[in-house]
Amino acid sequence: MAAVTEVTERAVLAVPLRRVWEVTSATDRYAEWVHGVLEVTAHHGTAEVGRTYSECNRTVGPLTTRSTWTVREIDPLRRRVDSGTGFEPMHGMTNIFEFRRLTFDDGTEGTEMTYSVRYRPGLGIVGRTIDKLQQPGLRKAFQTSMRNLEDLIVAEGDVAADDDSGATTP
Amino acid sequence: MPSSASTASSPASPASARNTDVVVIGAGLAGLTAARRLVAAGHSVTVLEARDRVGGRTLNHDLGDGQVVEAGGQFVGPTQNHVLALADELGIDTFPAYDEGAAVYVHGGRGTRYTGDIPPDLLALPDIGVTMARIARLTRQVPLHAPWEARHARRLDALTLDSWIRRTTLGTGGLDLMNAFLGSAYGATAADASLLFSLHYIAGMGSEGVPGTLERGIGTKDGAQERRFVGGSQRLSTTMAEQLDGRVVLGSPVRAVEQDGRGVTVRTDSGAWTCRRVVVAVPPALAARIHWSPLLPPEQDALFSRLTFGRLMKCEAVYDEPFWRGDGLSGQGVFRAGSSVCSMFDNSPPSGKPGVLMGFLGGRQWRAWAHRPAHERRGAVLRAFAQVVGRGALRPADYFEQDWTTEGWTRGGPTAIAAPGVLTDLGAWRDRPFGRVHWAGAEHADYWNGYMDGAVRSGRDTARAVIEQES
Ligand SMILES: Cc1cc2nc3c(=O)[nH]c(=O)nc-3n(C[C@H](O)[C@H](O)[C@H](O)COP(=O)(O)OP(=O)(O)OC[C@H]3O[C@@H](n4cnc5c(N)ncnc54)[C@H](O)[C@@H]3O)c2cc1C
Repeated sequence: MAAVTEVTERAVLAVPLRRVWEVTSATDRYAEWVHGVLEVTAHHGTAEVGRTYSECNRTVGPLTTRSTWTVREIDPLRRRVDSGTGFEPMHGMTNIFEFRRLTFDDGTEGTEMTYSVRYRPGLGIVGRTIDKLQQPGLRKAFQTSMRNLEDLIVAEGDVAADDDSGATTP
Repeated sequence: MPSSASTASSPASPASARNTDVVVIGAGLAGLTAARRLVAAGHSVTVLEARDRVGGRTLNHDLGDGQVVEAGGQFVGPTQNHVLALADELGIDTFPAYDEGAAVYVHGGRGTRYTGDIPPDLLALPDIGVTMARIARLTRQVPLHAPWEARHARRLDALTLDSWIRRTTLGTGGLDLMNAFLGSAYGATAADASLLFSLHYIAGMGSEGVPGTLERGIGTKDGAQERRFVGGSQRLSTTMAEQLDGRVVLGSPVRAVEQDGRGVTVRTDSGAWTCRRVVVAVPPALAARIHWSPLLPPEQDALFSRLTFGRLMKCEAVYDEPFWRGDGLSGQGVFRAGSSVCSMFDNSPPSGKPGVLMGFLGGRQWRAWAHRPAHERRGAVLRAFAQVVGRGALRPADYFEQDWTTEGWTRGGPTAIAAPGVLTDLGAWRDRPFGRVHWAGAEHADYWNGYMDGAVRSGRDTARAVIEQES
């Protein structure tokens, strides 16, 4: 069996952990911030262990793939683990988000986020070569995603004070 | 309780106010223009307005410090001579919409700077060129006063604009960019409107002797987005209402109109007005909801019921200053499919302070975002703005939205669009007087149909028709 590859990136987000947790837990919102997710095609709202959601993901150039993720582990405000299918020739795809609350010098709250995936490259030497080639892109994509997440939360403003009374479920 | 729009005496005093020569229903630009003309011709006039304000689809949003920004109709440009002449008469100046520096075209989440009106999408350019050239050719064949008499009218009216563009182009670039324009112009997509209706709409983007062109419709410089009114477009209506000196009755939705050979009775919740003639200056779909006695001719009823509005929201973010100008950006953005807004503009007041960015969330984008929680929509809009002017857009000092679908006395916007079959089957009924009842409004204009200019033009034309009938 091929060795497991792990790609991990870390970033400090200048937004509160509570909001980071809320947005990363929303299984309908990954297309809004995860780089390469073109569309969430099925979801179950706020993540629940054992339930699934599906995405259409960009792969190479105009090529896309359909993936399905199952939520495996939720440790509120700390850790979230999902396993995914649809990324052949990579197998056993696992996505891990980890969070830590930070307090900046000016007293405002921030979040340290660690974004990791683990998988086993298939197709022997070819798969391992593809894996090597894709790792820098993955790292960049994780950083972009975390920046997108920060932007999204900043742009949404003070949600506690927000009046969502007009919102309805389509 | 109805209230008067001006400080003059209340028209509710029984004998005088309840009986008038002409009742105008609706105090938007069309109704107020008609009323003004009728008064000038010596008629007694009462304008009944459902809302507690005048201006209809024009609405000023207060920015504080005596400054406003428009939450409804706002832009004017060349060949829109009627609204410009009205502004002149009222002493309301225009100022150029901010158009210095580069615009940004956003495709696939990536922004590219450009100048001019056509976005720099190399793959889409051939399609755009073909689409615009064919539209130009076809619009010349559409008689403005009777589009149903165009050559092959039924064939043109059997297609949507979308199906026709798909048929005549190779990629989706031309269609996507047309939809970016229609998102704000129709509050809908090319799939929602008939080709014939769209050709008529474009053919009317001009004036007598100056043929309408799509370029003028989409353009800023030399186009329909060239100028704005100092003090906001609603000022046209508030000034007209003031000059009408107590003849405008607010908070008075008209529920029923009854007519016979001798005259007309117009019923509101707070009483009835009798008159010789009525000008109905409300959007067609709302006119169809008034209780008519006798009933409207079935064709007219069917037409008005089918002339429904698109869906449009304006989203505006206020910044201490228009920081993008210093970066050489005009604040204008065009978004190809997949974004939360279709187009955006620098909507700062003439003083340039505060800075305001305005995005149109219309048609497909409205469908995707209108029902999302308000903070998620705000986030999506501001991130779209950031793709054009940078991350400074993410933290506005203020943010507001105006969703015209939630306005009971408008129910969508910016204008009514006709689906396939409607124009050829029923179009001839659009302006036909119904006994003593005459029609006005932006949807009743041939030139600049659906625009402020069309509203003013039709108000003027309808007043003239009433004056002729009464003389
Ligand atoms: C978001 C938006 C952006 C736009 N942008 C532009 C632009 O940039 N340039 C441009 O030229 N145009 C623009 N338009 C369109 C323009 O605003 C309209 O075409 C124009 O204002 C319509 O005027 P009107 O008098 O025909 O109708 P309205 O303004 O709709 O007035 C009708 C009036 O009738 C009243 N009414 C309705 N039913 C009843 C009833 N039963 N009894 C009594 N009163 C009733 C309503 O309250 C309203 O005041 C825009 C519109 C919107 C919504």
